[in-house]
Parts: sequence; structure tokens; C-alpha cells
Amino acid sequence: MESGRTEIAKIWIVDANVVTALGKDLTDTWEGVVNGVSAIREISRFPVEGYYARMAACIEGLATSQDRSMIAALVEQLFANMQPVPPDTALITATTKMGIDNLEKLKRGQPARVPDILLSSLPELISQKLGLRTTGINISASCASSTIAIARGAGLIASGRADAVLICCADVVTEFTFSGFSALKVVSASPCRPFDRARSGLTLGDGAAALVLMSEERALREARDCVAVVRGWGASNDAFHITSPDPDGSGLVSAIEQALSRSALNESDISAVSAHGTGTLYNDLMELTAFRRVFGGRRIPIYSAKGNIGHTTGAAGGIEVALAAKALAERTVPPTAGFKDPEQGAEGCVSASVVSLTGDVCLTTNSGFGGINAAIVLERGPA
Amino acid sequence: MIAAITGVGWVSTETMGSGRRHQVLQSKDGELPKIVSRMVFGEVSPRFGRLDEYSKLGLAAIAFALKDAKQDQLNEKRTAGIIVSSIYGCLATDMEYFEQVIANGGNLASPNLFALTLPNIFLGEAAIRFGLTGPGFAVNGAEPGGTEGLKLALESMFLDENPMMIVGTSDPGCPPLFPYHVEMAAGALFFVLEKHPPDASLSYGGLDMTLRGDVLFNGVEIQSLASLFQGCLPHLIR
Repeated sequence: MESGRTEIAKIWIVDANVVTALGKDLTDTWEGVVNGVSAIREISRFPVEGYYARMAACIEGLATSQDRSMIAALVEQLFANMQPVPPDTALITATTKMGIDNLEKLKRGQPARVPDILLSSLPELISQKLGLRTTGINISASCASSTIAIARGAGLIASGRADAVLICCADVVTEFTFSGFSALKVVSASPCRPFDRARSGLTLGDGAAALVLMSEERALREARDCVAVVRGWGASNDAFHITSPDPDGSGLVSAIEQALSRSALNESDISAVSAHGTGTLYNDLMELTAFRRVFGGRRIPIYSAKGNIGHTTGAAGGIEVALAAKALAERTVPPTAGFKDPEQGAEGCVSASVVSLTGDVCLTTNSGFGGINAAIVLERGPA
Repeated sequence: MIAAITGVGWVSTETMGSGRRHQVLQSKDGELPKIVSRMVFGEVSPRFGRLDEYSKLGLAAIAFALKDAKQDQLNEKRTAGIIVSSIYGCLATDMEYFEQVIANGGNLASPNLFALTLPNIFLGEAAIRFGLTGPGFAVNGAEPGGTEGLKLALESMFLDENPMMIVGTSDPGCPPLFPYHVEMAAGALFFVLEKHPPDASLSYGGLDMTLRGDVLFNGVEIQSLASLFQGCLPHLIR
């Protein structure tokens, strides 16, 4: 392999689907997000009496099998509405905790399929289900896991090692994760309110996404539709703190600048930003700072879907890229559910109402524990 | 050539240290050593002491590898990413954390312990200590040998994303009482990969990758991180 950036293949997303608490597919979830619907409810999946916060965006009826993880049921729903994935497709999955619900069962003496607990069981599950030739790998990078997975999938195609890559991400709300985020005092007692001055933390959510990436050459050869084009990607580490973002936003700025550089676009080409927008005090401030550093005084539309579907942790990036592709296709910037009173820097950018998307390029970003940041530049596909 | 290997660091049941300076351990029943910060950094570090065994193991091997490559002195932040492959990762910490949740109720769970239930967290700790601003993530896969992370690192360097990558494996082994055993060697092994090493004399050799994903060390295909170690340090293999 000769190092460099010349002759890098264009990367298309040729199929995409999501399952969230708002709906069983991308269309349902998009409709919910664009109409400002929130799927956040009081949790009934496990006892919450002892917790100061009791809300999440859970998908009802996921616990269909006694011994399988809820992730298995989520994956079944995810691929029910997708086109067949070619068997020679490479596979990268993303999850932070995979079948941690089965560790809970195991520790409580209940029936549990033990291999579901290991993170490597997600690519195994999907490879077997779809009959892929590869066993695949899983990437775990906190709440940027699936954004990094998309970046590495694009890297696989860009380097010529693959011409089709399936990205699949999934995480579910369990007492394990809920108790942990509660202990960190970052869970909001009420539905999260990204970029609002009165925000008080995040709300967790169930979710999964699948995105099929293909080189433009193969996609054209197979007459595939183009959901969107992955133009650029970037990733960085704050090297600042384990659980708190660097308040000056340097890490996120670096990830965005890398993504823009890879895409050969300028910040002025970006028409909207799908932000991580968790609703925590420090994350949202850091993001607004970073966006101000990248976009200067330009009032660019910024939105977060977490007030609708909750924070789906390792699946967040994948779901948000699929929604951003939909936003580009529909030429619509969705509203930010829960947003009323703008945090300083959010005025004129974040909105509780739908806004027209006037350009062709969108930026999506995610950040997570361990200081990780990741950014993807998406372009509307050719008509 | 995509990158040169300029540093090797590891912790095993028998030895720990780096390619140019390591020590033989008095192993007790083939167990991994209990690592304390003085062994790694030559000083007491409360932050290191608060980490779980998986994180200490990986962070120690990263520190040894960076020292071997003379990249362990933090003068300014630099673009270098870290990729760790693992099978069990932080599973023992997951189990310990959830036992606390069951025993004490979730509202009394330890936030510090919870933060360590993500397999990439110690990479953030390494990034802070050594000023590494490239991405850090964990890779889990069915393919044995830990080469998937190495391939991703080489690809990232090939695409000019990161001029330096630290890549390896960290696995404390199957946690006690966990009823699913995967055949593997417990320990940690990391390599420092540099695209343009400032001191060529530090190079153990060159890495390349074919379009099929075969990894070549000095032109010879390697199947695992263990065989890459053997290629770098043949005199250490008994």
C-alpha cells in the first residue's frame, strides 16, 4: 500500500436503518424526531424506586427471550426492514456494553446465555444472522463508538481493503448503565433538554443502527441507491480528563477539522450540525464552544435528537448519521426536543422548530468518556 | 513501508518491561504481577492506584513501549492514537461493579468503578499522561492473534490520519467464576508505530500491509502480535 490521499474512493451509504424507542425503522424514528415527539417515559424494565432519576427512552417488548440479551431482539428488528447485505461485506460493529443485561441475569442467578456478555459477540451474532463471510470486529469507544466505527469503515473502503462495509451498532438501557450514570450524577430527573439553559443531564435510550457503506464504483455497478455520501471523518482525544470534556473544545475542533480536511470542504460548506447534545452541563457547553471556534459568528443550524430517543450511548453516532442522511434528503433540520431557553451560544442555532436545510452537507459529532471525539461529514447523495 | 516499530512494551507472567530494558519476574503460579505505579513510572501515582487490573496492565505496557521509543516525556501534546484489542477487557470490573449494585442498591454504586467499566477508558488515562491526542478505542473480534487492531492502525497511518499509533493487546484473562473460557494468554503487549521516526536507530523494522489485509514485518507476513514480538525481539523467545 502506498501512503497518501490520492485516488481515494468515494463512499456511499447505500442502505440505512435504525430502531429506537420512537419506532421500528428509520422512517418512524425520523417522523417522530421531525415532529418533536419524545419517547422518554418512566422506566418499567427494572426497579427505579431507589434512584433520583427514573426516566429513559426504552423500546417496549425487547425482553423476548429468557436467556438471550435484549440486543439479540434489537438486532432482529433492525434487519427486518433492510435489503439483503452481500455476503462479502466487511463488518464493523459498535457497542459499549453489548449483553450486559445477561451479566445482570447471571449475577442474579437467572438463565443467561453467557457468550452474549462479551463485546465480540455482537459481530458474531450479526455475521451469523446475515451469512457474512467475515466474523467482523467490534469497536468500543464510549459514546463515540459507532462514529468511530463509521470512520474505520470508511477507512477500509478508502484504503482499498474493502468495497462494502456493514456498520452495525446497538446498546440498551439496563440497570447496570442506569445506575452508573446515576452515580455519576449526570442523569436528568426529567426528559433531557439539550442546549437549554435549564438542562440538568442526560436521558438514556435503547437504540440500534445499521449502515451499509460502499465504494461509489461498486454501488453504481450494483445500481444501489445513495442514501448519502460519507465525505470525511475525524477523531481525536482531549487528553484532558477521563469523564469530563475539555471545556475549550479543542479535541472536538480537531476531529471536525480532520473531517473537513478529508472531505476537501470548508466550514462554510456545512449547512447543519447534528450535535452530540446530551443535555449535560459540560458536554453542551463544550460543543457550543467548539462549534463557535469552527464556524465563527455564523449562525449554523444545530440540533440534537436525544430529547426524542434518549442517549443511546454506543449506538448514538450510527443512529444520528442515519437521521442526518434523512435530514439531507428531506432538506429539513429537525427541532431539538426539550429545548426552550437557549444556553449562551445556542441562540439562533438551536431551535424547537423545524428549519429548512438549505445546503448539501451536514456535520455529525459525538464525544465520550475517555476524552474521545469523532466527526463525520455527510453530503446529500446524487439524485 | 507504512510505519516503523520504534517501541515494544509488555507485561506477561514471566517478564515485564520494554524491548531495550526489561526484567524477569518471579511468577507465582503463572499469575500476572500486581503492578504498582513505581514499577512503571518510578514514582507513586494515586491515579494509577485507582485503576482496575485491566487498565493497569494495559497502561503499564503502553508506558513501557513509549519509553522504549523515547516518546514517554510529555513536552507537548502530539497526534498519536491508541488501539487495544481484548477478549475479556474490563469484564472483571463489570462483575465487581454490578455486585456492588446488587449489594448496596444502584444509588450507592461507585461512580469511579463505573467509569472503569468501559474498555477504552484506560486509553484516555494514557492520553492524559503522555499527551496523546489521536483517537483511542478498543477492538474486540473473533479473529485470534490481535492483528485486527494492528491493521486498523496501519490503515489510519496509510490514510495520513495519524503519524504515530500505539497498538496492542491487554487482557487480564477470564475473571474468576465467569463461566465462559476463551483460550488465550493473559498479559499486555504494545507496539509504538511511527511513520517518520525521528531516530531511525530505534527502529525494530518496518510494517506494511497488502490490500488483502496481510500484515508484513520486514517483508514477512505475520499472523499475530506474538509473532510480531518474535520478529522484533527474536533473542527473547525461548
